[in-house]
Amino acid sequence: MATSTMPRGWRLAGRYTLLIVLTIVVLFPIWVMLVGALKPGNKVLQDPLLPTHVTFDTLREAWRDGNLGRALVNSTIVALIVTVAQVVTAVLSAYAFAFLRFPGRTFVFGVFLATLLVPFEATVVVNRSTVQDLGWLNSYQGLAVPFLATAFGTFLVRQVFLTLPKDLREAARMDGLGHLGFLREVAVPLARPTLGALALFGFLSTWNQYLWPTTISTDDDWNTVQSGLRALAQAQIDKPNLVIAGTVIVALPIFVILLVFQRQLVRGLTAGAVKG
Amino acid sequence: MNRRRRPAAAGAVLGCLLLAACGSGKSILEAGNEPRPTAAPVTTLPGQTTVPGQTTVPTAPPTTEPRPIDSLPPCDMAALDEAAADGPVEILFWHGMSNELGRELERIVDQFNASQDRVEVSLEFQGGYEQTIDKYLQSDTDNRPDLVQMPEYTVQLMVDTQSNVPVQACMEDAGYDASRILPTALDAYATESIQWAMPFNVSNPVLYYNKKVFRDAGLDPEAPPLTLEQLGEYGRTIQATGAASYGVAFDSAPDGGGGWFLEQWLAKEGEFYSDNANGRSAPSTRVLFDGPTGVELLTGLQDILTTGGGVYVGENPSGTDAFLKLADASTPASMTISTSAALGSVLQFVEGGIIPGIGVEDLGVGPMPSPSGAPGTLIGGASLWITEGRGDAEAAASFEFISYLVSPEIQSEWAAATGYVPVNAGAVELDPLRAVYTGDPRFRVAYDQVAQTPDVPTSNGPVLGPLREVRVTAASAMAQIMNGAEPQAALTDAATLANALIADYNARRG
Amino acid sequence: MTRDAASRRRWRDAPLALAMLAPSLIVLGAFVLYPLARAFWLGHQRCDPTGANCRSNGWDQYLDVFRSEEFQQAFGVTFRFAVLTVPVGLALGVGLAVLADKQLRGMGFFRTVFSSTVATSVAVASLMWFFLLNPSVGVLADWIGGVAKNPGLLQDEDTALWAVAISSIWANLGFTFIVVTAGLQSIPADLYESAYVDGASGWMRFTNVTLPMLGPTLLFAGVVLTSRAFQSYGEFDLLTGGGPNGSTTSLTYLVYGNNSIIKNNSGLQAAVAVLLFAVLLVLSLAQIRGVERRVHYGN
Repeated sequence: MATSTMPRGWRLAGRYTLLIVLTIVVLFPIWVMLVGALKPGNKVLQDPLLPTHVTFDTLREAWRDGNLGRALVNSTIVALIVTVAQVVTAVLSAYAFAFLRFPGRTFVFGVFLATLLVPFEATVVVNRSTVQDLGWLNSYQGLAVPFLATAFGTFLVRQVFLTLPKDLREAARMDGLGHLGFLREVAVPLARPTLGALALFGFLSTWNQYLWPTTISTDDDWNTVQSGLRALAQAQIDKPNLVIAGTVIVALPIFVILLVFQRQLVRGLTAGAVKG
Repeated sequence: MNRRRRPAAAGAVLGCLLLAACGSGKSILEAGNEPRPTAAPVTTLPGQTTVPGQTTVPTAPPTTEPRPIDSLPPCDMAALDEAAADGPVEILFWHGMSNELGRELERIVDQFNASQDRVEVSLEFQGGYEQTIDKYLQSDTDNRPDLVQMPEYTVQLMVDTQSNVPVQACMEDAGYDASRILPTALDAYATESIQWAMPFNVSNPVLYYNKKVFRDAGLDPEAPPLTLEQLGEYGRTIQATGAASYGVAFDSAPDGGGGWFLEQWLAKEGEFYSDNANGRSAPSTRVLFDGPTGVELLTGLQDILTTGGGVYVGENPSGTDAFLKLADASTPASMTISTSAALGSVLQFVEGGIIPGIGVEDLGVGPMPSPSGAPGTLIGGASLWITEGRGDAEAAASFEFISYLVSPEIQSEWAAATGYVPVNAGAVELDPLRAVYTGDPRFRVAYDQVAQTPDVPTSNGPVLGPLREVRVTAASAMAQIMNGAEPQAALTDAATLANALIADYNARRG
Repeated sequence: MTRDAASRRRWRDAPLALAMLAPSLIVLGAFVLYPLARAFWLGHQRCDPTGANCRSNGWDQYLDVFRSEEFQQAFGVTFRFAVLTVPVGLALGVGLAVLADKQLRGMGFFRTVFSSTVATSVAVASLMWFFLLNPSVGVLADWIGGVAKNPGLLQDEDTALWAVAISSIWANLGFTFIVVTAGLQSIPADLYESAYVDGASGWMRFTNVTLPMLGPTLLFAGVVLTSRAFQSYGEFDLLTGGGPNGSTTSLTYLVYGNNSIIKNNSGLQAAVAVLLFAVLLVLSLAQIRGVERRVHYGN
């Protein structure tokens, strides 16, 4: 943003000092974690702030013991499935609510909104038995299906659709575009920033799922990274830093995604917060 | 910010109002309209009268009828021979052994699979005992394993699921000779005169201590404290000489210092943990840990913390905090009580040089100190349960695998690698365990504790459906006492809640 | 005839609408509404430890559960946790975002740093803080001393919830920072300029322009953070196991935790879970209604 202030030197210095201090505070746990992950287990108590005795053995062991390779693959697949599905289902249902007229529209929309308020934690027990009855324990279906649609996404995309000028739809109709054509050619492209945000949000929240994957897998081949970490966190007296090495492995891919998609994430996450 | 504060404040007020106005002071276990024995000391429920200060308990029949084995799912060992003719029978085995223990188990399973072609075992680690229990309870027969490892506190819970082929059925059908299996270990998993499960990994609490600190303090490193009083004296000496900051480090984990040890201590003192002979002559209706022995014990522990150089490390959720306190760089402790099953990994921990100046030979292991110093222990660890309804061949294959796991050879390897007590007496006469026991007496301590256990009813641990939950309540009392609460009051509260847990469990089961 | 036409128009889109809504309706119905209804039913029952043989225990089980000591304590823990994490988290997010907002050299770096914790999940953040706060292994214990050393911040009844809250605030900081930064960028620059021309100081510009214009953003972030706080489970599971002495047993931990006394008691678990929903419902409605009236929507 353009500001016409001529920043005074001391002010600027103060701001930078503060920023640097806060940077240190925010990064401190990450630094300790990195240092811990790069040490052999028996040197953890020595120089906890300095990367002495650097070794990749602990990372390698965490990778092996936590079956993290497989867990990363599982998490990626599940998160991608869920992300794509959430965007598609949200676009479809949002379109219905924004552009179609049908009896009971308000009521159905109300039902959608109501599901937004149901904490997933309140449904886990029943969902587990549903997934078990479907024979989906230890499967990608089991991990993904409960999350394929969200009222949050529907709500978000509907907001965007509602801001599209009415004459757009009229003009499209004149050009002979049906609903699906309009959706594909006009509505979706215009909603792209929001959809990007929704996708990232969906990806992150699926990646970060903790309770559900620990509940429905009975085979560590179906661990996600979070449930894999939990298994790694078991009593580990001779290698207190093994689990820390695991957290580094798990956090790294997301950190890279964040670096690459930072702009989209920033732009996207606002879609829910800022009107228009 | 200020725009958000209003509703938050309103919410806070609302919340506080609700808390103040709505709290009934009753336990959640009492919710609903079915009359349940009260958890609060002075409450009267329909159909029951209570005396202030005393918990009500329904009267139970004094003895349990032995269950005829015919009334339980059978085991047909011949089914395995038939099925194995068409190739190996595959069985799924769930376990809760993490890290080194898990890797050793994996090695043994691979060895078994390679040694024969009748049974193929696949192993699935569930993340720990608690997760194994959760997943077993939540699953239906199709999603359960053929064989599952369950910790010692689940005996009654497992019996009540009515989902198992008792190993006794297989033992009888196979003509299995169980004479070399430790009788106390077998007894731990037998109720109503049925042998439900086969003990596999037996552990008990032992004292771990730093011999170098003992030497520095002028204490005999080969004579660890046996009584609580000695434990406090040692701690005082260690502190006074400046050999270390603390004597013993206590935790209050449900499956450690807070719950499990309490059961062990009462047994060592010849006391029952719950009525009806620990639930073995008839279903237990209440716990007894709030009696004089329990109070005396906890008072003793509290004294060690206040005047005996002890230090409290909390609930030890990761299971490692007490050990790490021994390695603490600034204010280390010099002793702790923990499961013998940790010995293998603790030695590796020390071997890596994590405590500067301390080598493997400086780690001492002694019997679990108790108020009177009496020897003996309850059987801890876990046992193997065969799931019913997965097929006759699978049940038989599971038993064949069980026989392998408890054979002298495998128990010898398993105990030597881990620190568990072998369940088969023959294991001690075989290498590698024979060599370990002669070469490194530290591994023998847990075994000797089992061997020295007196043959009395109190040496058989409690069988309570909700034993894990009862442990949690005991651990909570322990935590309070460690922080200075009055032992009798804390134990009485815990016992009240524990009795409500038992009553609620029995009502739900019935 | 006109009525006919109107009715036809009313119904014309219906088949398409149904087709478009079907995927969402099926998923939400099967995995949100049905389990909620089922849990609601289960909440008046008592079942055996495997969840079978359920029998009615009367609908007043809900009321009794709500009033019970365990629920009230867990409710209090959950509520305090939200009060500890949400305002502080928002304030920090706003502070960092405002500091790093100016187009100055190096702000890209600071933005990356402040968003970085979004890369940590609940499990990652909790395990990191578990390691950091460990009284023997962690570096913080020796610096802080006292209770941090003995028995440790996570192991003392008075500090455990705070310690968990710090971990949670840290983990959510990246999210809040990103959201607020985006909110800041959408504030028209001319608003600041006119405020500047009017002679408003930096602080006044912050309170008179920035904060009001951030209203919708803060509402969004606040609602998300509050619902996360009320649904937190992993933090408690990994950091404290609900202890010490129940001081971090949240409502979710009461339902699912290893150390919960109702862990094999599906009727009571369902009742608590449904009551958690009810609490969130009341809270969300209050929050949205209370805040929406005051929020200033830009443009």
